[in-house]
Amino acid sequence: MTTATAQTTQVYQIFIKATPEQIWEAITTPEFTARYFHGARIQVTADHYQSNGPNGETWGDEPVFEFDAPRRLVHQWRSLYDPDLVAEEPSRVTWEIADQDDGTCLLTVTHDRLEGALKTAARVAGPGWMGVLSSLKTLLETGEPLT
Amino acid sequence: MVTYTRLVDDDRVFKALADPTRRHLLDRLFERDGRTLTELESELEMTRFGVMKHLRLLEEAGLVVARRQGREKLHFRNPVPIRLIHDRWIDKFTEHRVAALVDLKSELEESA
Repeated sequence: MTTATAQTTQVYQIFIKATPEQIWEAITTPEFTARYFHGARIQVTADHYQSNGPNGETWGDEPVFEFDAPRRLVHQWRSLYDPDLVAEEPSRVTWEIADQDDGTCLLTVTHDRLEGALKTAARVAGPGWMGVLSSLKTLLETGEPLT
Repeated sequence: MVTYTRLVDDDRVFKALADPTRRHLLDRLFERDGRTLTELESELEMTRFGVMKHLRLLEEAGLVVARRQGREKLHFRNPVPIRLIHDRWIDKFTEHRVAALVDLKSELEESA
């Protein structure tokens, strides 16, 4: 068994049976994100990405680089939720929603520019993003988050 | 069901994983992600065409995502389809017990 080193560009892709608008809403409104994103209440506007923990603590307070609803969202990422990761350099997350014309969308999440945030890279890799995306898929397709 | 087949169809994933060369390609990407065809090809005793064919099957199964970066086409491992198969049969309660057994196995086999 080989152990992977932290990847500084990570790509996650998932098909979701939902419209682009539903997916967009699910990734930009706190009522939705609280149900699948480790309890984070995330509000994304054209120029700002705000993430708060269940007790109001700041988990993310970041600029938005691209905001093209309901297709493409690019924002900065810092791991403010973990004292161990706070000091690391900011990285970047890109959400792309591609309508497949069959009632489904292909959602691609790319987390890159992680060269200055290797601990974050290791933490979000594997179960991190996958857990979030698989729970998002379950929430949108069944109305219930992954248990 | 027809339109949804691609999503729920795990067949492509299992078929893609059934081949040792394709598992080897995924192992290489697991060690270091975002590689070009040329890099991957250099580690396999196989024609460029053969490697392309295997990469295409991995892409069709959603296990590999190709992204253009400048002039290069880089191949990234997409772990999500395997995670979805995992989630289908292993819930979070079972996961702890499974993880404990897997850890035990690795420990015993490493010290052996």
